[in-house]
Order: sequence, then C-alpha cells, then structure tokens
Amino acid sequence: MTEHDEHDLGERFHALRREDAAAAPALRATLAAARAHAATTPRRRTLALGAAAIVLAGVALALLLARRAVPTGLATVRLNTPTDFLLALPNEDLLRTVPHFITIDSPRRTP
Amino acid sequence: MSPEAPELDLEQELDQLHPAAFGWALACCAGDRAAAEDALQASYLKILDGRARFDGRATFRTWLFSVVRYTAAGQRRRAALRRWLPLAVLAATPDGRPDAATEVARADGTRRLTAALATLPRRQREVLHLVFYQDLTIAEAAEVAGVSLGTARTHYERGKAALRKLLKEELE
Repeated sequence: MTEHDEHDLGERFHALRREDAAAAPALRATLAAARAHAATTPRRRTLALGAAAIVLAGVALALLLARRAVPTGLATVRLNTPTDFLLALPNEDLLRTVPHFITIDSPRRTP
Repeated sequence: MSPEAPELDLEQELDQLHPAAFGWALACCAGDRAAAEDALQASYLKILDGRARFDGRATFRTWLFSVVRYTAAGQRRRAALRRWLPLAVLAATPDGRPDAATEVARADGTRRLTAALATLPRRQREVLHLVFYQDLTIAEAAEVAGVSLGTARTHYERGKAALRKLLKEELE
C-alpha cells in the first residue's frame, strides 16, 4: 500500500467522522436519557426478579406434584451402594457350585 | 477511585470526547444508531455512577473507548440471547447491521466505506476505525481493543489491504 493510498483512506474516514459528528445526539440529551433509563432500571429489575421467582416456584410445585403422583414401593427398590463390590467374594460363582454339608436335627439314639 | 487516580471533571471530559465516542459507539455497533446510542448511554451511566472508574493508567480517551467497547459487546451478547428467546418476536432487537436511515443519510463515498467496512472481521474494523477515524496510534488502538500490539498491527495491515481492495473493486 502506497502513502497516497493511506492518505486516501484517512480522508475517507475523516469524511465519515464529520458526518457522524454532525448526526451525533447532544451530550446533554444522552446524559438525560441515561439517567432516565437508570431511574426505570430498578423497577424493571424487580419485575424480572419477581417473574423469575414465580417461574421457579411453579417448576418446584410441578416437580413436587409429579413426584407424588408416581408411587414408589420401597420393597421393589434395591439400593446399590458404591462399596457393594467389597462384599462380593472372589470366585463367588465357583463357590456356589460346591456342595456343602447340611445338619439334620435328629433325636439321638441311645444304645 | 484509587488514591493515584487523577481528579477529573467527568462531564467536561465527556463533553469534549462526545462526538468521537459516538463515532466509536457506531463502529462498535456496526453502524446501528439506536444500538450505538444505547451503548453510549449505558457507558456514560457506568462512568458517572462510579461503576467504571478511571485509574489514570491510560489516557481518558482510550479508557472511555474501552468502556464503550465493553458495554457495546455486552449489549450485543444480550441482543443475541434475546433473539433466541420466544419473546424476541415482540420487541425489535438490534441484529448487528447498519440501520437503513443512517445509511441513506450518508454521502456516497462514506456509504461505500461503511459498506466495505461491514464486510471486514470485527477486530480489523475496530483497529482501522481507531487508527484512521480516531487518529490513535496502533499501540493505543491495541489498548482499546484489548489485544497485544503485534495482534493489533496484524489486524491493521490485513484490514487496510482488504479495505483498499474492496474500495478499488467497487470503483472498477
């Protein structure tokens, strides 16, 4: 890029700057609008927070009702804890096939 | 304000820089006048109520431009979020394009320039604006854009070449 090109770009940007400056709102109006906006913002924030609280309460209520609607039978539930594997014996399947003695309670014979 | 922060008459400083700040806000909002005015109002409010504090580490101008850029970016993110919400159909949200009224009011030469600028990546556009429009150095532009000097220089060179090419193509 030549120096002339750069100068030309600068001229174009300066023309844009002049147009923007002519169309810029007055500082006083901008500040007044900013202050007016600030005055309404807390009310809007309160409304937004209220709406959010209502939505959250609705969701919580819906979840509560949904949980009540589904009966949970404790007898049908088996709780698996993370440490259950510690109770498992090594080669448990093999041990299950080994016959074991049974004791029969019979009346002792006297000679 | 920190103990080293210079005492400034903020309104007087803003008054001096207001036209330049409006031009920068327009650049940050891709030429959307309403969005630029909103960004500028929010920026001034942050400065006047002390949420944004000038600590004297940079010049007041580069600091003000950083605040405007940051505020405009926040508004852009919120506008993008609102477009995804179902209620977006009820309110006009800025879509990051120049508004028609602003474009019509421009002279031919500047309209061509803004159209060419709109096709460039945001970073390149920002650095070119800061250097050519605001007459900042590349180092100051880097500070405002929140990038390193090397990155700003790369954006500047690439953006300048691309803009020159686009403007030449349009004339031919």
